[in-house]
Amino acid sequence: MTPAYPEVKPSHVAGVVKVEMSLFNSREEIQWYQIELFDLNWTNIPFASSYRIINIGYKERKSFDVYIRKADMDEAVYLCTTSKVRKSSKSRTLISSRICSRLDGEPA
Amino acid sequence: MKYLVTALSLLALPALANTPITGNVEAKCVIQTTKDGVYGNPIASRLSTTPADGGVLPVIRFDVSIADSYTANITHPTSFSSSPPLTDTVAWTGSTSVTQTSVSGMSAYEEAKVLVDSTTIFNLTLAGSTWFSTASSATYGASKPFAGGVYTALVQASCVAK
Repeated sequence: MTPAYPEVKPSHVAGVVKVEMSLFNSREEIQWYQIELFDLNWTNIPFASSYRIINIGYKERKSFDVYIRKADMDEAVYLCTTSKVRKSSKSRTLISSRICSRLDGEPA
Repeated sequence: MKYLVTALSLLALPALANTPITGNVEAKCVIQTTKDGVYGNPIASRLSTTPADGGVLPVIRFDVSIADSYTANITHPTSFSSSPPLTDTVAWTGSTSVTQTSVSGMSAYEEAKVLVDSTTIFNLTLAGSTWFSTASSATYGASKPFAGGVYTALVQASCVAK
């Protein structure tokens, strides 16, 4: 997921800002990713987006906007996408991957 | 005629104008599964991904494009995500190690890793690819045999911007 340090922009809604993100699926076995927003202690923070869970094919890229209340921006730190794994029919370990950008960092 | 051809060739030259290709290298992290992990069942009360126990270690690859932008946080399982009904406690152990690197300096990641509960944190100070493997072992309470069925557990691999 990019950018690592997204720029926070004003949105068309008063009191709400937006960040523009892009997600690339590099895992052939994964088709779904969940968007999450956390504070520094990994506590969930509310947000709005066209997608909560994105369906994205292997080696496809999808862009999405995340809308956050200005009042929450002091707390919002990590904007993450987490892969959703399918149930397996073999005794095994499944790998859930999570990529997190920082909203309080320096833009790249 | 010869002069005419030369003149026409010169007129065609602007069609050969260069087309610029621009690019931007930005901080980016990609996680891929290199190898799926499989639980072996060396004794009735134990499931383990260790090859000596008949298991397969999962291998995860992290690619970072810019040095010192991300940490790799890898959490080994502490519960099953799916299993047959269990009536007793399960004791979990696990660890994560660097198994392969694309840059020799990355071998220092193993020495510098930090363990917080079940999460191992690696500071990705160099650009390139690093492969990590996670060992996971589950032992059923009071050496009871695990019930027959499929057991799956999640390894959480996170790439977190610094």
